[in-house]
Amino acid sequence: MASLVQDGIDYETRLRHLRAKKEAQTQAKLRLAGSMNEDDYGQVLPPEGFPWQPPANHPNGSFYGLDGWSKAFCSLMQCHPVYVDPMDALAGRYMFLLNRIRKCNWPPEFDYAELKPEQEKYGIISGIGNDAHFAPDFRIGLELGWGGLLEKVRRCRSQHGPDKAAFFQAEEDVIVAIQGWIARTAAAIEEAEASQTDPVLRENLREMAEVNRWLIDGAPRTFREACQWIAWFNMASRTYNRDGAGGQLDELLRPYYERDRAEGRIDDEEAIFILACLLLNDTQYYQLGGPDAQGRDQTSPISFLILEAAHRLKATCNLTIRVHDGLDRRLLRKGVQYLLEDRKAWPRFSGDKALVEGFMRNGYSAELARQRIAVGCNWMALPGLEYTMNDTVKINVAKVFTVAFEEMMREDATPGIEPLWRRFEEHLRRAVLCTARGIDFQLDHQHLNEPELILNLLSHGPIERGLNVTNGGVDLYNMCVDGAGLATVADSFAALARRVEEQQQLTWSEIAEHLRNNYQGPGGERVRLMMRTAPRYGAGDSLGDHWALQISRLLTRLVTERPTPGGRRMIPGWFSWADTLRLGKQVGATPDGRRAAEPISHGANPQPGFRADGAATAMVRAIAAIQPGYGNTAPVQLELDPGVANCDDAVDMVASLITTHFDLGGTLFNINIVDAEKVLAAHKDPSQFPDLVVRVTGFTAYFATLSPEFRQLVVDRMVRA
Amino acid sequence: MTSGIITHIQRFSVHDGPGIRTTVFLKGCQMHCPWCHNPETRSPRPELQVFASRCIDCAACADRCARGGHEFAAGQHVFHRERCVGCGRCAEVCFAQSLVRVGETRTAEEVLKEVLMDRPFYQPAGGVTLSGGEPLAQPDFTRAILELCRREGVHTAIESNLAWPWLIVAPLVDLVDLFMVDIKIMDEWEHQDLTGVSNRQTLRNLCQLDAMGKPLVVRTPVIAGVNDRPEQIAAIADWLAELSNVRQYDLLPYHPLGTGKYEALGLTGPADYRAPSAEHLTRLAALATRPNLVVKVAGASGACATDGGAVAGAPISDQNTSS
Repeated sequence: MASLVQDGIDYETRLRHLRAKKEAQTQAKLRLAGSMNEDDYGQVLPPEGFPWQPPANHPNGSFYGLDGWSKAFCSLMQCHPVYVDPMDALAGRYMFLLNRIRKCNWPPEFDYAELKPEQEKYGIISGIGNDAHFAPDFRIGLELGWGGLLEKVRRCRSQHGPDKAAFFQAEEDVIVAIQGWIARTAAAIEEAEASQTDPVLRENLREMAEVNRWLIDGAPRTFREACQWIAWFNMASRTYNRDGAGGQLDELLRPYYERDRAEGRIDDEEAIFILACLLLNDTQYYQLGGPDAQGRDQTSPISFLILEAAHRLKATCNLTIRVHDGLDRRLLRKGVQYLLEDRKAWPRFSGDKALVEGFMRNGYSAELARQRIAVGCNWMALPGLEYTMNDTVKINVAKVFTVAFEEMMREDATPGIEPLWRRFEEHLRRAVLCTARGIDFQLDHQHLNEPELILNLLSHGPIERGLNVTNGGVDLYNMCVDGAGLATVADSFAALARRVEEQQQLTWSEIAEHLRNNYQGPGGERVRLMMRTAPRYGAGDSLGDHWALQISRLLTRLVTERPTPGGRRMIPGWFSWADTLRLGKQVGATPDGRRAAEPISHGANPQPGFRADGAATAMVRAIAAIQPGYGNTAPVQLELDPGVANCDDAVDMVASLITTHFDLGGTLFNINIVDAEKVLAAHKDPSQFPDLVVRVTGFTAYFATLSPEFRQLVVDRMVRA
Repeated sequence: MTSGIITHIQRFSVHDGPGIRTTVFLKGCQMHCPWCHNPETRSPRPELQVFASRCIDCAACADRCARGGHEFAAGQHVFHRERCVGCGRCAEVCFAQSLVRVGETRTAEEVLKEVLMDRPFYQPAGGVTLSGGEPLAQPDFTRAILELCRREGVHTAIESNLAWPWLIVAPLVDLVDLFMVDIKIMDEWEHQDLTGVSNRQTLRNLCQLDAMGKPLVVRTPVIAGVNDRPEQIAAIADWLAELSNVRQYDLLPYHPLGTGKYEALGLTGPADYRAPSAEHLTRLAALATRPNLVVKVAGASGACATDGGAVAGAPISDQNTSS
């Protein structure tokens, strides 16, 4: 394979072009959508007036099931516009998210009306109808290629009876459709090559065409082919249902890199450029470093090249470094260095010790636990082995709290902290049960609603068994159940305990009245401030810390003490994604001084103002203490002032913050390096800061693409702590 | 148990010595630098800060104060500072935090307890920093904290003007791992005139510590028109170059962040001070550099002294640069 190094157009120039193009594409999406409160992904807009509409197979105009999804996907693949940029190392961009085009995401005949009253009562996000949110095993695809996957489907089909024919037919159809998309792209590349006058870009197109022609059927043989194959899978999977899980990228690519290097086909500069193109193609979540199944560190030269590629790309990115005792410290330091230098909120860091020990508490081996990696906002998943519903199931504990509080005030002659806690426990128990029943409902019906025709291909079991991943296709079902609003509830309990019971500054009836009045009216603001200034979660050994621990232990116990009625294991975590706004709107005024409909607290974080000095160490300790400890995450979301980055020993200090958090039991660490003035200015006029990237929660986004409400959320967290 | 008075304890302090540190701000200082940005640390007694803009006119303070310190006339809060004894009873009921008592008595053991909360983060270089105010104004308290920290194996640093008899300094020498000392101006009379205290003792103590091989970081808060002339900085650098254990000489640009505190304390000032330009500071740093003297602006490559070290949005670091 010829080198991409060129005299005229160097890699830096090409990356500059690609970055500018991506920013222009993002702006175009923004103009169309108004705002995008999520990851940037790699989606680009289809040509204006592109006529495609999905074929429906249901009277409501939507499409469901094997037939509906395979037909819709194949129909789109047949006409999906091809995308070739001669500056890029990789071909293709995706332009549609089928699951968002669907008119209705749940077949009305699968009714769960009996669950809805409690779901609403407790602010439960049930996950019913939600797709993806588990991890594929890219090794399967890289080993087989699309042709090999097709052969596997056909071979497995021959081993099953006609009852599985529809399943296998749908799987075959989607593979053939993807192959068609790649073939049409390869033809377009060849056409572009013919008309390309620049010799360097012509050579690039020639090679790109060769790579893509091969990948229609063949398994990748080279580094560039492997990256292109991963990009194609990502694009197909995104198109199908927005799946965003990546994998252990360094280890996936290491064999190709080592072989190409040994045989002189590639140098590091070229590898970095190709990797940058892969990261540009999509903001998929990739893990770097961390232990293999036997505990040996997986850091290799390619791990550093991936960081370097992201550093040069300077765009949104979702790389996670897995920190464990055996980690090559240079990788951690390099990651922290780029986090501080680029201020693009990557990489993130995950804590191996607590994640492995926690997952083992579910009865799994250390070998298996080590392979469970960070592949999404808060997701931990075993690639290809496990269905998880990560980040799709949440209980709004702030809503549960208000239900308990109001009930106590209605029914108890002598209200108090103890009866309130008893009622909170009882309602949380009911909320967990309702959540569990929702999970069962999803798992019993999802294959009829939205089979995972793409992700099945890179899972161990679904093709072999002829069963969708949600429906017995894999061996492991570890269903993610996240609590949201921890600090809101902990601070509410603390404020009531301190101000009402201990100090008797006001009576239960009085605080209840103030809550009903949303702290309006005579004395309302003073009471609100009184409650707000009680010792908070995060202050360090405070009443709020005590209650946060109690609440987290309770949620953990209720979620883990028994499986769902259908026998599925549930794993607790604390994560609100960016749903703090939506969940907050469900909840009236709370005793922590929060007004009705204001956002609930973010994930596992203490609330802004938790300590006068806002000490990051205090926050990090607090969050380490409340970890549920079963292998899912309760992330730290830390906003650091750029002043830290300017210090001589900034890398050491931030590395110490991260590793100490993990030593204390932490699981996931997200950091923004934010210049408060810049964020405020960008909030005022986002168009002036098109390249400002923030980690909103588990995901990064261009600040300018967020809605004013979301921007406010970020501003409040970052600036008005 | 030895006790003393502090303004506050700041965890995750990143500008008061190496690594992640916990900084204890002791209250009381014998100097009165007119540019000081921590005026609440000057007096050795508790004081009431009044942040008028936060007041919600609830009048709870008026009911609480037996000395008639607070009045509400036509809905307006009037504070009679001359009647205030700093007891803080009014602040206890001011949930709007318009009234904040600054200055609390703590035992050395209580301070240590808070310091140890961040001990896991101190690796590889962090620890505790005693700052102020002026830590040596409370020598017994300072020594008691340092002894407890030493016993726990916590790295210790002290930010001091060192303008104290050696008798005060000597007992601390073995308990302090790093001395961070201000030389504000080299000319004795100018120093006396501006701060109210001569710098001779500071210089003598620095020589003594240097002779004992103690690591030193020397700092100059640089204020435009006060001590930013090249010859003023060069004089300090020349003097420091004669020492053997100065790890770093920091030029810290003045910042006006303490202005609101003066108002809250009912004090006048500070005068219209300003920081030198970044270019001028860079020139001064270059001019001060000697073969054996590392000079940095703001302690690093950037403007550390004006940036907070904690979670974004948290209060600005109270780095003691003007004691």
